[in-house]
Amino acid sequence: MSERSRTSLLERLNAGAPRYGKVEHLESIEFGQGARIERYRFENGLELLYLPDHSAPVLAYHTWFRVGSRHERPGKTGLAHLFEHLMFNEVEGLPPGGFDRKMEAAGADNNASTWLDFTQYQEAFPKGQLALVAGLEARRMNTLVLQQPQLDSEKEVVMNERRMRVEDDVEGAVDELLWKTAFDVHPYRWPTIGWMSDIEGFTTGDCLDFYRTYYAPNNACLVVVGDVTESKLLTTIAGAYGEIPPSTLPIEDIHPEPRQQGERRVEVEKPTPTEKLLIGYRGPALGDPDHLLVSLLMEVLCGGRASRLHKRLVRELSLASDLRASVGPHRDPSLIDIFVSAREGHRAEELLAIVDEELERLVREPVGREEIERATARAELGLLSGLETADGKASTIGFYETVLRRPAAPFERLRAMRWVEPGDLWRAARRYLRSEERTLVLVRPQAEVAA
Amino acid sequence: MSTPNEEAGTVTRPITEAGSASQPIVEADRAVPLVHVSIASKVGSLLDPIGKEGAARMLMRLMRRSGAGRSAEQADELVDRIGGHLGAEVTRSTAGFHGGVIARSQAAFLDFTFESLCQPRFAPGEFEQLRQESLAECTERLDDDRARARHFWLRKLFSGHPYGRPSGGTPESLRRVELSDLEELRERLFTRQHMRFAFAGAVDEPMAREAAARFHEALPVGREVAVDPADPVTPNGRTLVFVDKPERTQTQIVIGCLGTHAHDEDHTALHVGNTVFGGTFTSRLMQEVRAKRGWSYGTSSAVPFDRRRQAFSMWAFPQASDAAPCLELELQLLERWVKDGITARELAAAKKYLTRSHAFAVDTAQKRAALRLDESIYALPPGYQGSYLERVAAVTLEQVNEAIRRRITPEHLVITVLGTHAEIGARIEAAIPRLASAETVRFDAD
Repeated sequence: MSERSRTSLLERLNAGAPRYGKVEHLESIEFGQGARIERYRFENGLELLYLPDHSAPVLAYHTWFRVGSRHERPGKTGLAHLFEHLMFNEVEGLPPGGFDRKMEAAGADNNASTWLDFTQYQEAFPKGQLALVAGLEARRMNTLVLQQPQLDSEKEVVMNERRMRVEDDVEGAVDELLWKTAFDVHPYRWPTIGWMSDIEGFTTGDCLDFYRTYYAPNNACLVVVGDVTESKLLTTIAGAYGEIPPSTLPIEDIHPEPRQQGERRVEVEKPTPTEKLLIGYRGPALGDPDHLLVSLLMEVLCGGRASRLHKRLVRELSLASDLRASVGPHRDPSLIDIFVSAREGHRAEELLAIVDEELERLVREPVGREEIERATARAELGLLSGLETADGKASTIGFYETVLRRPAAPFERLRAMRWVEPGDLWRAARRYLRSEERTLVLVRPQAEVAA
Repeated sequence: MSTPNEEAGTVTRPITEAGSASQPIVEADRAVPLVHVSIASKVGSLLDPIGKEGAARMLMRLMRRSGAGRSAEQADELVDRIGGHLGAEVTRSTAGFHGGVIARSQAAFLDFTFESLCQPRFAPGEFEQLRQESLAECTERLDDDRARARHFWLRKLFSGHPYGRPSGGTPESLRRVELSDLEELRERLFTRQHMRFAFAGAVDEPMAREAAARFHEALPVGREVAVDPADPVTPNGRTLVFVDKPERTQTQIVIGCLGTHAHDEDHTALHVGNTVFGGTFTSRLMQEVRAKRGWSYGTSSAVPFDRRRQAFSMWAFPQASDAAPCLELELQLLERWVKDGITARELAAAKKYLTRSHAFAVDTAQKRAALRLDESIYALPPGYQGSYLERVAAVTLEQVNEAIRRRITPEHLVITVLGTHAEIGARIEAAIPRLASAETVRFDAD
């Protein structure tokens, strides 16, 4: 759309806009080759990112709230995630379950997720159902009904989810233990799903407070990707959200994590047939230029079967059956975590010795250009694979917008990767792979299930 | 080397079916610079020698890591460098390579795929390495409660039938596989008669067609092997398999019987009926088990297809203390579904959902190519995928309820519960009316 057409469209829309429905165009952002995201903001603070995609007659509609488990406090952990569940229950004028029934009748596939820095709701639906979906999403942003029976039932569901993801899942339980041990003050120390005792204790009052505080248009960003015109989209969104007032958002009160003083180590027994090792180093925030460098280092170390640790631990020494490594993609500095599962009869200490050798090698000598090239190609493939559907594009845009306020950041990262030099990775390895700032979790099999 | 119910013969007729080398499936779309490639055989793990289950899967993985005389490390490095991924996928009815690559590297990727399929090296050292990795993965899978429950459930449901043989193998069967088995298996799986080709995305169409022809030329003519087992037999009465694992706070419950196949006249009607019962978030199972009682984070039912009757299954994972009442409720819901069927209102809602959401089955070139490939691999009725919307629209309430009654057998079920037997075993048995037999197996049994 030309600037002239857009100005004319906005003038027309704003002339008859509802109370908070006036909209302004903020910027146009390049998103890969030949595509542009348009950023709009409505008078109530609601932001809209729109990426036209006419490759299929479908739309993806995501609502990203800038609230996650980082906004909780001790004793009330898991509230953001529980609330995500409650958002599917009842809104004014619709009975419990009515929201999902209407979505399904529209052919919509809907879901939601909560993590450390955000909560997001997503729908993918056939073209032609935009007004229905936007109307339903606007209603639950503003007129959710919270009642005791639904809260009780949903708490049970979430506790069952916790049993599935943590209590009865070795990797989930160990991961939770690592973050709890590694952090002292930052809210990243508790799991997004929350501690079981906290989930049990939530009241409707807790939930209502949370809703009134964080579920407001000025704390949200809509991401719409798909087969719709800009004019129709803006008219629909203004109509659906234009009467919802903004709220006063609290100032975030988070203490940065102090520097870790010395290695931390815990051992646990689990009903698993083999030993496991989880290591967490202090890592950079997603917005830190070093994040890209550490991501590439982890690719070199554990990315696929050609990676250094896979070659040594799985192929050459037959010590491990599975391994992975990543750096947390979060707003604040978090962890670089490395997970290795031992083969039968081998100890976690044997794994640690080899992992340490390879980490020391990263610190001692630069990574070769060929390995950087492979890591970069894997990262590019991963990014492109996530952009094949409207839903995938909306997820990518929403995530980077919510965490970094830069929806096209994945392409910025891709461009930056092409200029990475061995010396850059070397510096990052020296800076972050410091054993005095790491946490280790060693998992031993309980005797009755040892292989 | 043979499997039951197998017929083979020299084929003289030309191969001109969709998906064959002369008519490869090509779904071009340049929106994202990625190319997807699928090269698959119409025959799968049912050709595994008896007692050597997992052989086809080992074969595919060995081929993937040894093309053109490369070492496994060289193969992995090459694929990573060009920005590709190539995986081996084996089911009962198909075995093939499926992968993708950044468009600029498609020529190199097609070469790599060609070399993996047509020029593998069967080195004893790499074979033994692969066996050890496969065995370690079997141990790793012991941590996956859902997969363990499903493994024992399938084994019982298809007991004595080829569908009961696990495509991934067991530690015991993997130890029995020999390199010569893989060499022989390759000759039977990957012939001109069996191979199907699909390319999607930002593909260079002439290059794709040329690649299919090149594969065709390099493959042996071979014999067409029609693995055609008899229909599985319905279980007799209600059977419980309790999978015992220590310290489970949560259980895995799988309930089911035989289901349908794509040539079954009840197939579409049963698919629609299942949508109402356990196919969506607002289904009966989800409403009763999750929304009203909060007993399980999720619960669902499914009616997948294969060449012969596949399974109908229900799944839930309640906490241990809710397992018995949850199982009891699921059985009651199943009985009611079969006895009373679905309502006209439910049918209308299901049709609306299935019709509108179908847009997401065909919204990318890769998905469209995969559907067409399935049609060819599974010998589905002509136009099967393309006629989905018409078939769903044509289904009547009577057809749905008849199909449910004809195909689902609530008095003849296999029920698997994974949990800690000492804590809930007795309550689980008591929760199953008319239970005919029960057995307990350790979660780590082969």
